[in-house]
Amino acid sequence: MSDATKKLEALGKQMVSQVEKGEGPTFETVLRTKSNTIYDEAIGCLRTGDKKELRKFLSMAQARTFMQTVAIGAKTKQFLRENLHTSIRGLFYQLKFTLGEDIDEDLFTEQSESNALIEDIEVALKIKREDLNLTTDRKGFVAGPMTILDRFGGEETLIDLTKQGRSGWSIPSDVDNGMEIKKLDADYVLVVEKDALWQRLNEDKFWKKENCLLVTPKGQSTRGTRRLLRKLADKKLPIYCLMDCDAWGWYIYWTIKTGSMNLAYLGRDFAVPEAKFLGVTMSDIKEFEFLQKLTMKAKDVDVKRAEEMLGYPWINRYADWVRELKMVLKTKKKIEQDALQGQRLTFVGEYINKKIKNKEWLS
Amino acid sequence: MADDDIFKQFREHSVAEFFKKNRQMLGFSGKVRSLTMIVHEFVTNSLDACEEAGILPEIYVQVDELDAQAKDHYRVTVKDNGPGIPKSHLGKALGQMLAGTKFHRYLQQRGQQGIGASACVMFSYLTTGQPTKAISACKGKKITANITIDFKSNKPVVEDPVEEPAAEGESGLTVVSEFKDVRYERSNYGVYEYLRRTALANPHCSITLVEPGDQMSAFPRSVQVNPRRPFEIKPHPLGIGTHDLLEFAKHSRDYRKLSAFLQNTFSRLSAGRVDELRALVPGVDFDKNPQELDWNEAELLVNAFRQVKWIAPATDSLVPIDKEQIEISFTNIFRPEVLVVTERAPKVYRGGIPFMVEVGLAYGGGLVSAEKKGEVMRFANRVPLLFDSGGCAITETIKSMDWKRYDIRNFEDEPVAVLVNLVSVHVPYTSAGKQAISNEEDVMDEIKFALMEASRGVQKYLSGRRRAHDIANKKKLVSRYVQQLSSDLATLSGEKSDSIAKKLTQIIEEKYAQEDEEEAGGVAEPAEKAEEGEDE
Repeated sequence: MSDATKKLEALGKQMVSQVEKGEGPTFETVLRTKSNTIYDEAIGCLRTGDKKELRKFLSMAQARTFMQTVAIGAKTKQFLRENLHTSIRGLFYQLKFTLGEDIDEDLFTEQSESNALIEDIEVALKIKREDLNLTTDRKGFVAGPMTILDRFGGEETLIDLTKQGRSGWSIPSDVDNGMEIKKLDADYVLVVEKDALWQRLNEDKFWKKENCLLVTPKGQSTRGTRRLLRKLADKKLPIYCLMDCDAWGWYIYWTIKTGSMNLAYLGRDFAVPEAKFLGVTMSDIKEFEFLQKLTMKAKDVDVKRAEEMLGYPWINRYADWVRELKMVLKTKKKIEQDALQGQRLTFVGEYINKKIKNKEWLS
Repeated sequence: MADDDIFKQFREHSVAEFFKKNRQMLGFSGKVRSLTMIVHEFVTNSLDACEEAGILPEIYVQVDELDAQAKDHYRVTVKDNGPGIPKSHLGKALGQMLAGTKFHRYLQQRGQQGIGASACVMFSYLTTGQPTKAISACKGKKITANITIDFKSNKPVVEDPVEEPAAEGESGLTVVSEFKDVRYERSNYGVYEYLRRTALANPHCSITLVEPGDQMSAFPRSVQVNPRRPFEIKPHPLGIGTHDLLEFAKHSRDYRKLSAFLQNTFSRLSAGRVDELRALVPGVDFDKNPQELDWNEAELLVNAFRQVKWIAPATDSLVPIDKEQIEISFTNIFRPEVLVVTERAPKVYRGGIPFMVEVGLAYGGGLVSAEKKGEVMRFANRVPLLFDSGGCAITETIKSMDWKRYDIRNFEDEPVAVLVNLVSVHVPYTSAGKQAISNEEDVMDEIKFALMEASRGVQKYLSGRRRAHDIANKKKLVSRYVQQLSSDLATLSGEKSDSIAKKLTQIIEEKYAQEDEEEAGGVAEPAEKAEEGEDE
């Protein structure tokens, strides 16, 4: 019996014992509001605070969501027993039915209802949705010296990430359950924001030359990608990130590093405080002359984002970032990572080597 | 022609002419209203006669349409079970204008309205040329006679009297009279509504109405005892105007001296007070014959009255309908969901005239099925006021109420009925039509306080009902999730769904039963006493 199944069953038994004692069933969860989101300096990431919330069935405001939450619990327990996976949309469709012939009401009417309650269960039971056989979208890729054992659909497959050709290995939504790192020889992990740059470096066999793992989240990281990076960091591999020098790039980086406000409840399991920002930086523009001609004018959203970031305590505690962000506000410029190919296609590799060797990164 | 003849001729015409020209003043304006006034005059006389004789009134009213083509031609029959009228008084009672003794009596009485049955007899004669038929069973004799009025002498004419022995126990007066220029209508101003409201304010009466087309309606008696008889009181000096004082003085024959007249005619006017008045108006001779009092002196006296500190008049002469009786008759007629009756303590207006206010406020129930909305029923000394509602203090006070505060969102669009009865020895009417009460501040205040008191009672009920409704809703909402929750809890825990559902249902029952009790006990009646500025 999985840990998640045990926890679901314990929750059920606790509620039933309340009912047997003549009390209305309740469960405790952690408040997921902005005011209860804190930056934990000790672990270097965002997490939810200590404010608890008691959910009650015998409450006008909560009766429906309480029933819905328990319904999700029961349904996922069934998924676990049957060892079948589905997406959160699939779960929604499983639970979209009428409450009874004489009741003009559906258990769920909108997926947004069930999405929020899945998070409630994750928080209340301190488990991840992946543990409940709920899959999420995947889009990240990785290549390099690592071998994975994938137990799936009743089969075990050994996957060598050095033999994935031009496309790399697609990071699954769940890298914890049924997934095992068998062999890992890499010295570090390089995360590049864009797939285009990943393909460029893959063609150069960059990961082979550098003995690293080459990862792209293809934009914002999925839960699976973040989880994989966390596990790799746990294996003491340094995590280096190469992003655009603009609002979106920074946001992608900080989500990897400290987690996002929305998913703060996931805490350290989905954050990589050890990650470093290799570039592209505003200082690079000064250092490499050819880049100066390749800058773009920062948009309002970039400037606004920079201002916001200066206000976040988990960012403004790093002097190097404050300097960088102030430069953005001053010059109102930005630059894409693709610009590194402006001079020569192979320049990127040299740039990365230099940065890592000289420890030229931002925190 | 001698001067005398001119005046004689003038006088012969005068009564009829005066009547014709001043019909409106006497209440005979409009065809529907005229018919209602006729029924009112006869029924009022019957009620007064029965009550005075200690008989529980049984009134029978029949209106027949006589000429379907010509229209507006009716016969009105009013029959009572009163003591009847002896032959000697029959003519005077029905055929002489202003024959009554109601003038300047300080007594709470119905007959303040209209000018009596004689006016109806005259109206009948003037419009149809027919006499009024009277059948009086009195003390074992039964007299049948036709009555008209001799305009020349303003004297009643009793024609063709037939006297026969009355049947065993037979007693009462029946009046049969024909009218043109009137109309029967089942409107808010018609005879039906008048009698319905009369029955409401006089639950000791039994009233039967037969309308044109022989449709019979009965308003049964709901209280088996006659109301206490009001008694006459002396007027209070503060309730008196200059003209009133002169009239009293002219009619007084018993006193030679003004001082004695004052002490004996007015209440609270002691010898000590006469001395005070003497000091205030040294120019008035208090030893003179009161009949010689002139306007100037009367005015000086009345002004002096205002400066003396008086003891308030006695208020025990007032007879309200009574809280319990209103409750009984209201319930009988409307069967409302909730009814609150308030009876205010007697008060005084203009410093000297006692009055009191009763209010009955009914909501829902039979009012919903009767489609009655925002019905206002005005009464003065138990007599329904059907006309001139616009300028009436009762209507205006009801309009000025902030009904929303009492959970009655829109007074005119909700199943609510209000009865307001103003009881006084002298009802302050706006005009001679006597259908609206003037805006006396003291009177309006009392009406308002009585309405507020009743409204609070209704509000308490309505909010209680809404609370019960809310709790039922909550219970329903939670209950509908029990099956789904139980089956999911069973999946999660491995326990049985049925037993979880059973227990859960029980918990819900207990919780909301308890909540109902707690809330009902915990809600205090909102205190508004301070705002009303009551000083009792």
